[in-house]
Amino acid sequence: MTSRYAHGVVDAVWKLESARIIAGLARMAGDVGLAEEFAQDALLAALEQWPGSGVPDNPGAWLMAIAKRRAIDHLRRDVRLDRRHEQLAHELTNREDPGDREIDTALDALDGEVGDDVLRLMFVSCHPVLATESRVAMTLRLVGGLRTDEIARAFLVPEATLAQRIVRAKRTLATRRIPFEVPDGPERAARLASVLEVVYLVFNEGYAATSGDDWTRPALCVEALRLGRSLAELMPDETEVHGLVALMELQQSRAAARTGPAGEPVPIQEQNRGRWDRLLIQRGFAALLRARAAGGPPGPYMLQAAIAACHAQARAAEQTDWSKIVALYEVLVRSLPTPVVRLNRAVAIAMAHGPPAGLVLVDELVAEPAMRRYHLTAAVRGDLLARLGRYGEARAEFERAASLTRNGPEHAILLRRAAECEETALPPSGAPAVTFAEVVAAFLAGPGLTAETVRSYGQTLTRLLRYVGGDAPLPAVTPARVAEAFADAWGTAAAATWNRHRAAVRSFTAWAGRPDRGLLTSDLAAGLRRRPEPRGRTRPVDPRRLAALLERGDLALRERVLWTVLHESAAPARWVLALDVENLDLDAMRGRVTTPRAGDGAAAGGVRWVTWRSGAARLLPGLIAGRRRGPLFLTDRRPGPARAAGRDLCPHTGRGRLSYERAEYLFKRATRELDPEGEGLTLRRLRGPGRADEPG
Amino acid sequence: MRFLMTTLAGVAAPDDKLEAEMGALIEEMVRTGVLLATGGLEPGLHVSSSGGQITVTDGPFTEAKESIVSFALIEARSTEEAVELSRRFFKIVGDGQGRIQQVHGPDLDPR
Repeated sequence: MTSRYAHGVVDAVWKLESARIIAGLARMAGDVGLAEEFAQDALLAALEQWPGSGVPDNPGAWLMAIAKRRAIDHLRRDVRLDRRHEQLAHELTNREDPGDREIDTALDALDGEVGDDVLRLMFVSCHPVLATESRVAMTLRLVGGLRTDEIARAFLVPEATLAQRIVRAKRTLATRRIPFEVPDGPERAARLASVLEVVYLVFNEGYAATSGDDWTRPALCVEALRLGRSLAELMPDETEVHGLVALMELQQSRAAARTGPAGEPVPIQEQNRGRWDRLLIQRGFAALLRARAAGGPPGPYMLQAAIAACHAQARAAEQTDWSKIVALYEVLVRSLPTPVVRLNRAVAIAMAHGPPAGLVLVDELVAEPAMRRYHLTAAVRGDLLARLGRYGEARAEFERAASLTRNGPEHAILLRRAAECEETALPPSGAPAVTFAEVVAAFLAGPGLTAETVRSYGQTLTRLLRYVGGDAPLPAVTPARVAEAFADAWGTAAAATWNRHRAAVRSFTAWAGRPDRGLLTSDLAAGLRRRPEPRGRTRPVDPRRLAALLERGDLALRERVLWTVLHESAAPARWVLALDVENLDLDAMRGRVTTPRAGDGAAAGGVRWVTWRSGAARLLPGLIAGRRRGPLFLTDRRPGPARAAGRDLCPHTGRGRLSYERAEYLFKRATRELDPEGEGLTLRRLRGPGRADEPG
Repeated sequence: MRFLMTTLAGVAAPDDKLEAEMGALIEEMVRTGVLLATGGLEPGLHVSSSGGQITVTDGPFTEAKESIVSFALIEARSTEEAVELSRRFFKIVGDGQGRIQQVHGPDLDPR
């Protein structure tokens, strides 16, 4: 046997056996780092001896026997040697090659409870005292049996850096005396989550690799699959373990189809489904069934696997069940509201309900700094804009996306798409206009609308759609047509009904007419007069319940102040949110707002005063916290540059003005239990009855 | 790297002990995520296509020792690992012949 081949064999055996050997030794030695060193000694012995003597019949047991001998040598030197170890040590000779008896003992050690030991090894390698990158390195090294140089190459870091990372991780585990165990109780779930996270990180690192990369990178996918499959055998009752395995099997099934000849990524709708690996798809489905059988609520991995399964089930891209995918994303985004999940959700919604609906969500994401730097956000936005015929903006987005990606072929494709936009943009009547129905669907699918509102607005807009025709291009829907439709449908209805439908059209107009959407230029409600109706419709929230709500310990100061001001002043929320710090008169307990929106008749524009009482007066200085200018109520985060308008930006903190939608959402969330319908209460409910209503 | 490992006719008929050991090996390979699919094969039919004409015959075939009696589709890290797994297989079944062929795929080893 040539030396190079023999080394290959030793390496192969090592990768197959090292997890069990290290795990078995770690139970004996109580220290993962030491266990790995003993195992490494055995590996060195194999590299010396096997090229000459050939691979022993039972190479795993051979390695274990040698490693155990090293372990016992070590324990013998240890001053705290106890009788049990002494006896064990006596049984061993100093022969280099292990005898039959030694092999038998080693075999027993490798059979018995070794599965549980491997599981412990995984949990310790992924222990939260270690940094994530160290967990990944330790798992691949100890459980996967990868060499330091292999891990370093796969993760594109210098070998010395990675070696150092592993040394430090072992030291941390030893000095912090991390027990070699799988914890019980509440800690178990968190620790399992860490293990799953590490496995999926390894998978994604491999998945992110392109065909030009070193072969070690794509091999990480296979490594992660093996880790996941072993974990599923060791923890058959854990839903999310099977969920993760299903997700990885299904994603890996597309490996051959997901990149083009130049290494450029191919979107799922354009992939050649004939190149999808049916075997892995079947394995993915099987794992998903096991996840369901394990019971429990579906976790993020299982949900993502279910989404992947929807794609796998569609024989052709057009057969994809996008509404089911949207439904799964709606559940997923609650437990995993990461930017990437939200972006993918937006893509799914665009597929299910048309590009405008997706664009609304993408626009929200763009407000977040991390998302702005993510090339896919720009690419998705560009794609949606192009589908809406807004080629100029689409081109800019594709160019921005190209500047953000590091993948060469992808860069080229994005620039090509930008160029296509430029060509298409020239003839003005290029793409088919957006239909009224599409825009309505987008509006109703947008954020900030409660289910109740969607139902209510839906009634109005469905009626309008029927009147003007859903396929009508949006420009054909004029204020005059809307007025006709209203006269036809609700001409004789009660004032409140008329006003409710009118409010829906106004809201739709405001949404579609926003400059960044640019879908509408005329006010569709222009021909609809508001009808006078009896006041005091809104029942205020029970004062005792409000008091209890404001007392809640976990309530943020901003919400406490806002709600108190709204309650005490009975002013419309839009005025209160428009308050600026420089316009507050704290001594007089009032603040001045200039309502910016052109509204209805007497209620339009002008200066307004919001007057509060002692409760808000006590809280306000804490919220102002020394600020001298800018919006009183601020968002939690700083907005992206494009979203920030001057007077809605705090000069002290750089944060934006809290929006009505967000404020309403927060109140609804906090009052869900108070609402018999479970929707939560609107901000309006904070105001007393019979007070001036907000226009519209 | 995916490999198709096949065993050619001529290996000993399995007895209880062999079945048990083979069962343990398969279980182990499933547990470590190596084994994707496996099975034993009937002699089957012989299909030939000539000049657009399909001819199906049901044996016996002249080259009986060339026919495949079992297969395992595995996901291995290297050719050496596939060989090592094959070695474990033959340690159980005894003398015989087989083949190890890498399956073309996106990760066909470019080393």
